[in-house]
Amino acid sequence: MAVITYIQALRDGIREEMHRDERVFIMGEDVGLYGGAFKVTKGLLEEFGEERVRDTPISEAAIAGAAVGSALTGMRPVAEIMFSDFMTIAMDQIVNQAAKIRYMFGGKAKVPMVLRAPQGSGTGAAAQHSQTLVALFTHIPGLKVVMPSTPYDVKGLIKAAIRDDNPVIFMEHKLLYHTKGEVPEEEYIVPLGKADVKREGEDITIIAGSIMVPRALEAAEKLERKGIEVEVIDPRSLVPFDTETIIESVIKTGRVIIAEDDCKNAGWGAEVAAKIVESEAFDYLDAPIKRLAGLDTPIPYNPNLERAVVPQVEDIVKAVEEMLG
Amino acid sequence: MATIVKMPKLGLTMTEGLITKWIKKEGEQVEKGEPLFEVQTDKVNLEEEAPASGILRKVLCDEGETVPILKPVAIIAEADEELPELENDEGPEEKNDDVNDENYMEDKSVEKTSYIDTVKINKDNVSIGKFGKIKASPAAKRIAKENKVDLYQITGTGENARITAQDVKNYIDKTLKNDNLRISPTAKKIAAEKGISLEDIKLSPGKRVMKSHLMEQIKNNLKSDDEVIEEFPLTGMRKIIADKMKNSVNEAPHFYLTAEVDMTSTISFRKKLNLVIKNDEDKISFNDLLIKVVAKALQNHRIINSRIYENKIQLLKQINIGLAVALDNGLIVPVIKDADKKSLAEIAKESKQLINKARNNKLTPDEISGGTFTISNLGMYDIINFTAIINQPESAILAVGKIQDRPIVTSEKQIEIRPMMNITLSSDHRIIDGAEGAKFLRTVKDILENPLKLLL
Repeated sequence: MAVITYIQALRDGIREEMHRDERVFIMGEDVGLYGGAFKVTKGLLEEFGEERVRDTPISEAAIAGAAVGSALTGMRPVAEIMFSDFMTIAMDQIVNQAAKIRYMFGGKAKVPMVLRAPQGSGTGAAAQHSQTLVALFTHIPGLKVVMPSTPYDVKGLIKAAIRDDNPVIFMEHKLLYHTKGEVPEEEYIVPLGKADVKREGEDITIIAGSIMVPRALEAAEKLERKGIEVEVIDPRSLVPFDTETIIESVIKTGRVIIAEDDCKNAGWGAEVAAKIVESEAFDYLDAPIKRLAGLDTPIPYNPNLERAVVPQVEDIVKAVEEMLG
Repeated sequence: MATIVKMPKLGLTMTEGLITKWIKKEGEQVEKGEPLFEVQTDKVNLEEEAPASGILRKVLCDEGETVPILKPVAIIAEADEELPELENDEGPEEKNDDVNDENYMEDKSVEKTSYIDTVKINKDNVSIGKFGKIKASPAAKRIAKENKVDLYQITGTGENARITAQDVKNYIDKTLKNDNLRISPTAKKIAAEKGISLEDIKLSPGKRVMKSHLMEQIKNNLKSDDEVIEEFPLTGMRKIIADKMKNSVNEAPHFYLTAEVDMTSTISFRKKLNLVIKNDEDKISFNDLLIKVVAKALQNHRIINSRIYENKIQLLKQINIGLAVALDNGLIVPVIKDADKKSLAEIAKESKQLINKARNNKLTPDEISGGTFTISNLGMYDIINFTAIINQPESAILAVGKIQDRPIVTSEKQIEIRPMMNITLSSDHRIIDGAEGAKFLRTVKDILENPLKLLL
């Protein structure tokens, strides 16, 4: 298997879908000539031409609106928002149009669009370019929300997202872009709504998403040396959500840490914790569920502070050790 | 609302408590959690807290009085509230489902003598939180409920003194080991007579030891203690064999078919083959021939070369024959891959290498995996017949006996002495039916009796 970067895998996934289905096209700010702010779409303009790789004006509302409109009329847009923070400008199109139309027309219209954007802190991009806003979208019925953590997953999931007939919010992480991993040459799809057990263990379950997955895995490795077997589960998509895999794991371990890099207050981890407590896994919990999440503050510009506000590997190690006493 | 203060039950074995002092006097204001009175049990002396805030309106039992558990001792209420009528409640006796006759008295005496070892119960038990509620994890509560364990007996080791699942498990282990168990009089008598240690009897807490448990124990004692020369742990290869064989027998309904094979032709066939082979090392063994014959037969009976995978029966493309090799400390099955595609010479060479490696512990994981059918030959130990356990995930295994001269009736109705060999096929009935197994076995027999068919 080839070892490639997250960006490369993501680009390959989009490219394959563009070859497979001529209705698939890309648009966004600087996605064509410049290849995208993070170079995700680099080379695609040359390969597919201006009709299918479209640079847009600087208006996220327009990008999302055009995506909704073109999806309604039979296209399958993959629109890039340069930073997920700017999705807030497109909120009306996403929440009031994209998410609602299929329902309001009784299923007669569909909105097969993907809105992809990088999220997360760690690059010194300050408060307006570093948020993890994924929880906002999980709250809106009608949207699917995906958050891949590895090159393998990002490729399989972007393909599933493009083929889905519903609007999909596809959240990438800036720090994951240059991580590498094995990706098969042959075609594959990672279905939406299927969690992945990234590492098996008996003592404690860490449910981690996006950038927290590699951090949890690194922590698990450190803990293994101390004789602690950590199970790491990546939900991969938050909507639809694979509750079953998580319940099964919690019943096995009885202890749960949920690791997320967005703010703790009403983050997606809160929803996962609630799902566990509502389930049959409740009777197997042997300690309160712990949420390891960012502080409820905007992301600071100062790199030391920036690092301090979201959970790092050492925070995970510490939390596990505390929980296992 | 008026709150009736009762004599607390501070331990599993507590039936009554002595009120040594009223810290609050009648008519005094009390806050919930404040010490209300001092109580002395047979084990400890402690302060009981007020379960509610209000005025201590009525003290029902005086200092120096011994009061049964759960009997009202005081009433806390608002200043102007009407006090509830109290029934003459002696407090419920400790109920016990399986103890309802005079024997109960005797049982109680057993309990009393065993106080010393039980966990000390007092308000220092930090796992008892506000309002006397227990701090235990959901898992701990579930396990306690399943095993009828009283969580108030347990001191938690978790964060904030929370009782964890492990604490409950430890407690269960401990109570099983100490002699705080109840026993029927007959059982007690038998235990004394036969000198049986009650510690050895594993029961869930709360259960009474009955005669039947002891009889079981006596049986076990006979089986084990007196007859064991040496013990060693079930680990390593032994453990793998144990688990694999157990799973196979549990999962796969085995059935067995035996055929008798006239080996005259195979013996001469092998002799002739080995005549043309110069190197002794390259000579072909009966096992090599068997591998080749079985592989050939499997080509025409694909259902035997199969496995169950995720609720589906899969017929397998490759024919990989495993050969069971006995070792000093166990058994291992190296696999000859694609045996149907290999010549006898290739099989002979490969099987020799694999058997050598097996005896020297040098087999790689690849060389012992991927088998689709196994042959086990115990002929060298003079075994005539045996039944083998299927080596899962395979669906059948062939057990081969010794080649032995026996008188047989030939097709011409003559009695002749021929070298005969019994082969027994064990099949997984989930996949293979009797007739299919039989047809396969007939093919194996046919090729062994007409080995030139190997060339077809």
